[in-house]
Amino acid sequence: MTQSGLELVRGTLDMLVLQALTWGPLHGYGVAGVLRRRSGEELVVEEGALYPALHRLEQRGLVGSEWGLSENNRRARYYQLTAAGRRHLAAEVDAWRRYRDAVDQVLLPAEA
Amino acid sequence: MGLPHGVRRAFRWPLSQQASRRDLDEEVRFHLETCSEELVADGWEPDAARAEALRRFGDLQRVRSECRRIDRRRVLAAGLAGGLAATGRDLAAAGRQLARSPGFFTLAVLTLAVGIGATTALFGILRAVVLEPLPYPDPQRVVFVFEGAPWGRGAASAGNFHDWRQHSRAFTALTATRSASFNLADEEAPERVLGQTVSAEYFRVFAVPPERGRVFTAADDQPGAPPVTVLSHRLWQRRFGGDPDVVGTELRLGGVPHTIVGVMPARFAMTGEDEELWVPLRLTPAQMAEYDGHSLLVFGRLAPGHSVGSAQEDLRAVAGRLDAAAHDPQRDLDPLVEPVLDVLVEDHRPRLLVLFGAVALVLLIGCVNVANLLLVRGATRRKEMAVRTALGGSRTRLVRQLLAESLVLALAGAAVGLLLAHLLLPLLVRLAPTGVPRLGQAELDGPVLLFALALAAVACVLAGLVPALRASGVRPVEALLEGGRGSRTAARGLGRHALVAVEVALALLLLVGAGLLVRSGRAMSEIDLGLDTAHLLTARLSLPEARYGEPAAAVAAFERLLEEVESLPGVTTATLANQVPLGGGSISNGLQPEGRKLQPHELVQSDMRLVTPSYFETLGLEPVAGRMLTTADRAGGPPVVLVNETAARQLYPGGPAVGRQVACCAAEDDPTRWRTIVGVMPDVRGGALLDEPPPQFYVPLSQAPPEVFAWLQRTMVIVARTGGDPATLVEPLRERVQAVDPELPIYDVATLDDRLEEALAPGRFMALLLTLLGGLGLLLAAVGIYGTIAWLVEQRRYEVGVRMALGADARQVLGMILRQALAPLAVGIVLGGAAAVAGGGLLEAVLYGVAPGDPATFAAVAAILLAVGGAASLVPARRATRVDPARTLTGA
Repeated sequence: MTQSGLELVRGTLDMLVLQALTWGPLHGYGVAGVLRRRSGEELVVEEGALYPALHRLEQRGLVGSEWGLSENNRRARYYQLTAAGRRHLAAEVDAWRRYRDAVDQVLLPAEA
Repeated sequence: MGLPHGVRRAFRWPLSQQASRRDLDEEVRFHLETCSEELVADGWEPDAARAEALRRFGDLQRVRSECRRIDRRRVLAAGLAGGLAATGRDLAAAGRQLARSPGFFTLAVLTLAVGIGATTALFGILRAVVLEPLPYPDPQRVVFVFEGAPWGRGAASAGNFHDWRQHSRAFTALTATRSASFNLADEEAPERVLGQTVSAEYFRVFAVPPERGRVFTAADDQPGAPPVTVLSHRLWQRRFGGDPDVVGTELRLGGVPHTIVGVMPARFAMTGEDEELWVPLRLTPAQMAEYDGHSLLVFGRLAPGHSVGSAQEDLRAVAGRLDAAAHDPQRDLDPLVEPVLDVLVEDHRPRLLVLFGAVALVLLIGCVNVANLLLVRGATRRKEMAVRTALGGSRTRLVRQLLAESLVLALAGAAVGLLLAHLLLPLLVRLAPTGVPRLGQAELDGPVLLFALALAAVACVLAGLVPALRASGVRPVEALLEGGRGSRTAARGLGRHALVAVEVALALLLLVGAGLLVRSGRAMSEIDLGLDTAHLLTARLSLPEARYGEPAAAVAAFERLLEEVESLPGVTTATLANQVPLGGGSISNGLQPEGRKLQPHELVQSDMRLVTPSYFETLGLEPVAGRMLTTADRAGGPPVVLVNETAARQLYPGGPAVGRQVACCAAEDDPTRWRTIVGVMPDVRGGALLDEPPPQFYVPLSQAPPEVFAWLQRTMVIVARTGGDPATLVEPLRERVQAVDPELPIYDVATLDDRLEEALAPGRFMALLLTLLGGLGLLLAAVGIYGTIAWLVEQRRYEVGVRMALGADARQVLGMILRQALAPLAVGIVLGGAAAVAGGGLLEAVLYGVAPGDPATFAAVAAILLAVGGAASLVPARRATRVDPARTLTGA
């Protein structure tokens, strides 16, 4: 499969999904849209891969889900961040930033 | 929070696999359809839009299976958590419910506690005595090897043991042992310790290495080798204070210094008995060619690939081969191979199982009683159940709630029961008759606690299920309309009547068992031993080989001792014998009558009694024919023998035995081999009370074949007949013996009455326990019957009021209630009787002198149950006759 965008670093998908849910409950399709738009169409996620991620997060108690009505008046499963999910996200984002900075620091001299 | 409108059921997870699968499918479908709709809105062709949506989604199958895997785990975890939470809630609610009726709670818990406690305590004993494997590797491969004697298991001759050991391949090791006791003497008082003389293979058979030093080698087992001994851990601790350098030091046994070569570990107890040291057996070549004396206990460890059955076949084949080769008339008797544990616990297993069955019955009756109580509660809580059902409580929920109540009862019952068992177990161990192997090891350990928990679970279901199903099956409208009065139908009472019948049946089983054992105990105490046991004192003594190895020296010493005892004030007559009735430990020989050449297995195997002439006078026995022994029957005189009636009958079925010849106890060419029968004595019971008298023969001590002293290890029993209480003579007797030889302890001191008492004790103990349990069962059953009839009367109060208002008199009312009460009683008696007849065979092994189907016992028990049941229903039934119609009908 040819892909024009960036592949996800392993483990970041969960963080991105949690981040997408910080704006409020979303169904899976909505999450996919948020990721696509917010990354400026740069990040390519196989949309199907979101579901195992969502289900795993739900099993870990980081998100909750319930059935509701979508904008097009269909029954859709909405996911919503739990308090634990919010804490987890904050920790992940923090770790991610420190990781990114560390990698940058190593790379900067090479570019200079 | 701005959730789109919908049913708000936050975080409600689908609780079943199907539901979660449906959810997943719907979720994926929504995604794909929404995506393609948006694409169509952007101007895509519908087909192309669907294809594009699928492409963006990626691998549909993989996503599905991965999500399913995750969901499965989640459903499982949720179910578990939910279940635990719900159970916790149920238990808490049950606790609250029960706390509201403390009387009911206490009664039910105590009823269950008695059953669970008694059953647990007995299980603890059963486990230690019967179920626990023996403490050495692969205990099930260690077997006894007996010679098949006419009465069953016979001790082996050295000759047969030698042949088996040489020629059989069915064992990795085969050892011969003889229990022995030793005079252990040093500066302190002489002490008698129990031990074993064992052949060198002994420790290989039991496969336990020594704690210190070494065990015996083949060289140690050679006649004439330096004397050595192996100590038990206990003797090492007791006598040497656990001295680490004990190996290599000396210990005086029977006056001879023995080098201590090893110490066995604490747990090593071959049979759970009390042996404290071991010395080599040292069979001589002459002994190994000897087939006539049977005094060895043989153990073997089965070789790989051999079973008890195949080992027995192998030994039989060995015997057959040797017989054919040698035509030795003394080689004889079919070998018997049996697992050690089976033999050890043989007498105790059926007794313990019967007791266990009895306590289990008490527990069952207890469960039925609690079920009854719960039914009553269920009846009074019909309204509550009806309201719950009407408000949407599912039947499963209600059953769970009610079962939770019985679970709380059962757990509380188990807790109190364990406390009871904790008190009961040591009490039973202390009161139990002596000689039950491994009884001292009984304790409430992990498996026993688990057993109590399992009992609680069983009790919970038994007591709780029927009442729970019944109470939860209430039809709300009906129950609510009934009001307080309750229009009972006969069908409603049926369950409770069935419970009464079951209870009566169980109680009948218990009481029949108790009754049979009581009768059996009485039959035992009425056994005619063949002699009067009063005023007889017995004590054993053993002459050490070092100073009394020569038979003549032994005879002289015994006669000297006897004179001392006879001269004691208070002693009327005294005698020495190698064995006394109820004393155990017989030696037997095959008797050969004259004129008939018997094959070895046809010889009349008889108990040998080596006695002094005063034996018969001391025990009060009169000859049936001929004469008794006299002091004229001396060494060098014509060899004589007395036989008992059974032996006489078997030796000379046709005619008088007196004056005939009989051969025994000596080699073919020995001039003393043939002896003249000078008298026939009455049958006297032998070593065991319950065994019919075996053939017996009496040989005067002065004419004993010389080998006999080695067989007996110069051990004889002093028997003294006294004018007064024989117990007062123990100390004077000890002093007299020690005046002759200060290194000579007397041991195994008991009056013959004591021995008789001891022999009767197991039967009495069983009868006592079963009577107690039977009484308990009867009491519980009576409470159950009383409760049921009281309830019945309560239910029919209105109806009785109507009847009395219409003119029924008290007698008619009483009759009506009693008829209803007696029906389940009769059914229970019939059912229990049938069960008792069917299961009576299980009791056979513990009964003596009474058949398991003994009609007198059955009739008596049925009468007792009818009387008690009748009385238990009469009390509430009479209450019914005092119903005041005016008050009942106006609802006052």
